[in-house]
Amino acid sequence: MDTQKQTTRLLDAVLFREIWKAMKVTFKHMFHRPMTFQYPREKRTIPDAHRGALGLLRYDNGQERCVGCDLCEAACPSRCIKVISEEDKSLPLQRYATEFYIDITKCVFCGYCVEACPVNALAMTKMYEYSTHDKRTLLFDKERLYEIGEQHLEDAKKYLYAHNQEHDDEESRAYRYHFPQPIEKTEASDS
Amino acid sequence: MSNTSTMVTLTIDGIRTEVPEGTLVIEAARQVGIMVPHFCYHPKLEPDANCRMCLVEIEKIPKLQTSCSTRVAEGMVVRSSVPHVESARKSVLELLLGNHPLDCPVCDQGGRCDLQDFSHEYTPTVSRFKELKRVFPKQYLGPVIETQMNRCVSCMRCVRYCDEVMDAQALAAEGRGTITQITHWAGNELECDMCGGCIQICPVGAITSRLSMYDYRPWMLKRTETICSYCGDGCQITVQRKDDQLIEVNSALGAGRNNGDLCVRGYFGYHAAEHPDRVQQPLVRQADGSFAEVTWEEALDRVARQFTRIKATHGSDAIGGLITTRCTNEDLYLFQKFMRVVIGTNQIDSGARYGHINGVRALRRVQGTHRWTIRYEDLAQADAIMLVGTNVNESNPITALHVKQAVKRKGAQLVTLESLLPVRSTVSNITTLSKHHLEVKSGQFSAAILGLVKAVVESNLVQEDVAREAPEFVQTIRTNVAKVSWDAIREQSGLSQTDVETAARTYSQAERAVVLVGREVLRSLGGEGLVTNLMDLQILTGHLRRSGSGLGCLAEGSNDQGAVEMGAVAEYFPGPAGLHDEESQKTLTRTWGQAVPAGAPATLPEVLTRARTGDIKSLFIVGDNPVESLPGDAGVTEALDALEFLVCQDLFLTETAKRAHVVFPACSAMEKDGTFTNTEGHVQSVRQATEPLGESRPDWEMFSALSVLMDHPIEYNEVKEIFKEIRGVIPGYGLLGPASTPPKVDEKTVAQYVTSGFKEDVDQRYTLDASPAAPEGALTLRLVQSLYHSGKYSTRAKGLMEIEGEGRLHVNAREAGRLGIEEGQTVRLANDGGQATVSVKLNDRVPDAVAWFPEHFDEPVRALFSLKVDPHTHVPVWKTAHVTVTKWSSTNRSIEERSRV
Ligand code: SF4
Ligand code: SF4
Ligand code: SF4
Ligand code: SF4
Ligand code: SF4
Ligand code: FES
Repeated sequence: MDTQKQTTRLLDAVLFREIWKAMKVTFKHMFHRPMTFQYPREKRTIPDAHRGALGLLRYDNGQERCVGCDLCEAACPSRCIKVISEEDKSLPLQRYATEFYIDITKCVFCGYCVEACPVNALAMTKMYEYSTHDKRTLLFDKERLYEIGEQHLEDAKKYLYAHNQEHDDEESRAYRYHFPQPIEKTEASDS
Repeated sequence: MSNTSTMVTLTIDGIRTEVPEGTLVIEAARQVGIMVPHFCYHPKLEPDANCRMCLVEIEKIPKLQTSCSTRVAEGMVVRSSVPHVESARKSVLELLLGNHPLDCPVCDQGGRCDLQDFSHEYTPTVSRFKELKRVFPKQYLGPVIETQMNRCVSCMRCVRYCDEVMDAQALAAEGRGTITQITHWAGNELECDMCGGCIQICPVGAITSRLSMYDYRPWMLKRTETICSYCGDGCQITVQRKDDQLIEVNSALGAGRNNGDLCVRGYFGYHAAEHPDRVQQPLVRQADGSFAEVTWEEALDRVARQFTRIKATHGSDAIGGLITTRCTNEDLYLFQKFMRVVIGTNQIDSGARYGHINGVRALRRVQGTHRWTIRYEDLAQADAIMLVGTNVNESNPITALHVKQAVKRKGAQLVTLESLLPVRSTVSNITTLSKHHLEVKSGQFSAAILGLVKAVVESNLVQEDVAREAPEFVQTIRTNVAKVSWDAIREQSGLSQTDVETAARTYSQAERAVVLVGREVLRSLGGEGLVTNLMDLQILTGHLRRSGSGLGCLAEGSNDQGAVEMGAVAEYFPGPAGLHDEESQKTLTRTWGQAVPAGAPATLPEVLTRARTGDIKSLFIVGDNPVESLPGDAGVTEALDALEFLVCQDLFLTETAKRAHVVFPACSAMEKDGTFTNTEGHVQSVRQATEPLGESRPDWEMFSALSVLMDHPIEYNEVKEIFKEIRGVIPGYGLLGPASTPPKVDEKTVAQYVTSGFKEDVDQRYTLDASPAAPEGALTLRLVQSLYHSGKYSTRAKGLMEIEGEGRLHVNAREAGRLGIEEGQTVRLANDGGQATVSVKLNDRVPDAVAWFPEHFDEPVRALFSLKVDPHTHVPVWKTAHVTVTKWSSTNRSIEERSRV
């Protein structure tokens, strides 16, 4: 071992060079933007394409978009959707979901159901805070799903936009399924 | 036919194939595995070539050809997937889609729709058509069918099916071009056979069932192939369910004896099995007379103890049994085994007693086999078909379809001896296809049949070899019929000599002739004799031994035939073999490990009489409902109330079951495995389609459980083991697949019959008995089978009740005019037995001076009828009465009420 190396080591020890090196990182970070969040006091901005909890949407006039076609149920790889549908008695031919369930504990957030939906009734939202003590509340029913859709309408629409599914209602009507306008029920047609 | 025709060689997409001359190109392609897309083509229908979807290129023909209407030719070279054929298809699709609502996501057909499939295959994503789409309002065609004409591709399959196959002609196209729509003829309600055929045959979702609308998507459905339990035709049905909910019943093309066709009961009647009134728990009567739900153990134990006690104190013959013919062969077999082996009695009978037994006895006596010697395929080949008192369209709708096909497609000559007027309406009527319709006065088939025989004998239509071989037989009949004058025959049956002679000539001179006999003969007094006379007719004309000719008795219950063959009737052991047949006794003793009981048998009326007199202390009634299937004066309730112990095993708490001490909940045919034997004698598999409701169990399990508790175990692990045992007892049972041939006439029996057997009763059979004349001004009221129902069971089916939900008095317009009544009005029927008020429906096929009432709703009118029992075969006969009809209005009622006060 030569003398020069020994001198360097001696100097390192006397001048606490290792410590300075370490402190350099610390000082550098004192002027750096923080990387972590103080969740739940602080929240992250979530990108529009984020796959959060599912919600059901209405058209602007308040009508339920969902036509109860069961296609989301068929598309779901984890089989967590259950739709029960019926004819709307006041609008012959109009099909709608009388019951709608998503078992969100089983959902893998693949978004296939949203893609399968012919009327963009389903969308994913930025909602992710729904932890609970009662697992049963995680079986989202129709009411809950519409509630989510209503609360997160803007995010839901952004999701559909980000996934290239819908720009706005009018535009979507042009290239999505267009159902024949239901005819109001009259006595004569109900023979 | 195909083996005689010449074969043609052609090439389809490079595949060389040989097909019989006259085959359509589309069929030839299907045979080599090439599916040419099509909408309007259907194997059941005549080619119409209106959709242009099936275009193919055929070498040497400049333009593309529709393969559904082009017949093959020698050396033809067909190409089905070259680019310009595909682009032609694409344009056809573009045209169709141009006016299609594309509401696949909500369409019940979505997922099994031809238009959807072909669109995926040929992907015409852009359309050059810019016109607005048409919008038709949705329409209901009657209570169970709906149309959504926006989806229609105008292929006319529904209209053609309704006309060509059903012969109902209830549908028609209205409008032209793009605004063509399918609709029905008149008024708002569609009145038709409601066969559901148009729903099944529509390639898109334009005609759908209202019963399951929007309840399902096709891919959710689980399918089970089983057999319909509503009539003796034994159609193969596909029961479709979502989870455990019944969604739909249909039948696949080529399936079963029905080849995919169904009648209204099969198509729309499936809800009966899941009716909320089903008995779901064993019930035991309490001291206060009410029923309490108990466990199986308790109920079985109670029954076993009581049966054992009664057997020990009063002997085996103090117990009797009745079973319905809606049970499977296995249930029927095990029931009679249980009664004979465990109880030790021969006092058992089944629903075959209501009429089918008459036919079987006559067939066995004359031709030596209890089954038809013909099958449906022979109907299609027949030159002449004769229907005698069948009303086949109502009782056996699929047999009727085979008859319709034979007449419409193959030009068979139809002779009908029926009591209904040949009036056309949008409900099919078999007599309108008839070449010689003989309008027989209600209930006078004996005179009509006698007339036929007389015509054959006196117009020299007797086959020479028969006259040579059995001169005495021919001579005896000749002398007998000579005693009856044509005037007497006309007087009684309403038929003239010339009409009968022409009909007899048509039948006799046909090369292949089939006779079908129905309920009006089978369920009449002396029914066995009438069928025997028809057999005589076959012998005289030489049809009995000719292949392709024969006589069939139409079974009404789904397993009437099976009940007789399983020995669940008084006069037979399984086989059927006579109770004194030593061979059979030996086999049974060996199989059952115990001697067969020697006691006397008892038919249904005898069982009831013995119950009334106290000789029978206990009855075991499985599914049968004598309280409601016999009139009030039969004394059924008295008989049942006199019993010490009554056990019923049923789906519902029927009037009979309400009188029971213990009720076992039974499974419907949809909930169990087994076999049914249809009217032709085909043994077909019944498969479990849904889980048994509640605690209900298959019938055989209860017999088996009781036998164990009664220390006489007859146990099986599964239903197949019972079938194996049946095979041991009746060698070869159930081997009759669709491809096999029907049994042959037994020559020895025939020879014995024509030399001496006939003498026994020939003098009685060929006489006219004076029928009671109707009182002056009275109407003949008949309980008839409705097309939309079967027994009482179908009145629990939601769909069928929507089609026909109540019994109405059917009279024709002339009769209504005479009585001064109109459709929908209420009338009062009265005779010595009682009175009833019912509403009126006009039906122009009802003969004059006759009124019909559907037997399924006979509750209010049953008091008007009285029971007669055939002295020989003990068949209960009661469905005709004479009544006076008066208009009934609210004023009448108040008078009535006032007089009562
Ligand atoms: S996101 Fe995926 S897993 Fe979740 S419900 Fe939709 S399809 Fe099913
Ligand atoms: S959410 Fe969409 S895919 Fe699911 S049932 Fe409703 S309309 Fe159909
Ligand atoms: S009879 Fe009625 S149900 Fe049957 S095909 Fe015709 S219209 Fe349709
Ligand atoms: S209703 Fe159906 S079967 Fe009838 S013409 Fe239209 S598409 Fe064809
Ligand atoms: S009731 Fe008879 S004809 Fe109708 S579907 Fe059933 S078995 Fe067939
Ligand atoms: S299937 Fe050939 S033209 Fe319609």
